[in-house]
Amino acid sequence: MNAVVSAVVHAPGFGLALTLAAYLGADALHRRLGRPALLAPVLVAMIAVTVVLEVLGVGYDEYLASVSVLTLLLGPATVALALPLLRSGAALLADRAAVLITLLVTGTVSVAVTVGSLVAFGVEDEVLLTALPRSVTTPVALTVGATIGADTTLVVVLTLVSGVLGATVGPWVLDRVRVDDGRARGFALGAVSHGIGTARALAHSHAAGGWSSAAMVLNALLMTVTLPVAAAAFTG
Amino acid sequence: MPAALAALALLLGLQLLGTLLVELTGLPVPGAVVGLVVLLAVGARHRGLVARAQPAADPLLRHLQLLFIPPGVGALTQLSALAENAAPLAVAVVGSFAAGLVVAGVLLQALLRRRASAPVTS
Repeated sequence: MNAVVSAVVHAPGFGLALTLAAYLGADALHRRLGRPALLAPVLVAMIAVTVVLEVLGVGYDEYLASVSVLTLLLGPATVALALPLLRSGAALLADRAAVLITLLVTGTVSVAVTVGSLVAFGVEDEVLLTALPRSVTTPVALTVGATIGADTTLVVVLTLVSGVLGATVGPWVLDRVRVDDGRARGFALGAVSHGIGTARALAHSHAAGGWSSAAMVLNALLMTVTLPVAAAAFTG
Repeated sequence: MPAALAALALLLGLQLLGTLLVELTGLPVPGAVVGLVVLLAVGARHRGLVARAQPAADPLLRHLQLLFIPPGVGALTQLSALAENAAPLAVAVVGSFAAGLVVAGVLLQALLRRRASAPVTS
């Protein structure tokens, strides 16, 4: 019996099947519970997969080999981010000065606060490198993280934390500072909370969603160019 | 289905083109991001290219989160490294999140309003 279970668990497709099942299951659960932001499907699925692998004694390397097709798709998915940007292109071009100024100021503030607080705590360079890419959307954060030599797995956690924060307390924070323009709300959520924030903005309105994905992509482009420079400047 | 596969091949081709450009120029940028820029530049003029990428791009973007599960699982198995620096990282992430959100929202709203009050309408 044990040999049978082991043959299934260590089959090449097991990790992929487990990941797909966890994702679909978490998504269905999320929908049934009325889309609570804290139970983001990606978080629930990650925890479920980790627990199952632990229980069945499947190592992370073996799992990673099984899901290599998903890792591979991050590249084309990043290229595909051009589409939402093109879709809201006309509206963005009409207000390009406002968009560019907001993008630059927000990026500067974001990186300054990250670096400032970490330097104040006196953390090691590796931690700083890991925290820097969290201000971009995950597929880009992963590649940028690899470029500047960060621990890419932790990069993902930090990026997800930002995303979940944006989906949960983001709209509340924007209410407090009286930002009621749908475009500005969407843009702010996309700039700091990426994909998860964009999903939240889309629930608000299509215009907000378009501005949100635009902010996500533009911010990713800006950070891809500046982060390697910033990383070199702030670490020894 | 053939349309989706052709679209996936197109996106992969753009990524590889980006990788080629990165290798030739030595830019410190991932190849996929250069591919994104190429699609942006060409797609703005040639809508046909965008329509051709759509059958793969739409499902990929709709299920983008699925692709984050493997690295996330890796992160969960290495939580000890995170716990070591939990306090500084929490301050950095929450701080830059809140500052970025407020600055972006307030600034863009102010700038858009200023434009709207000018005689130009959108």
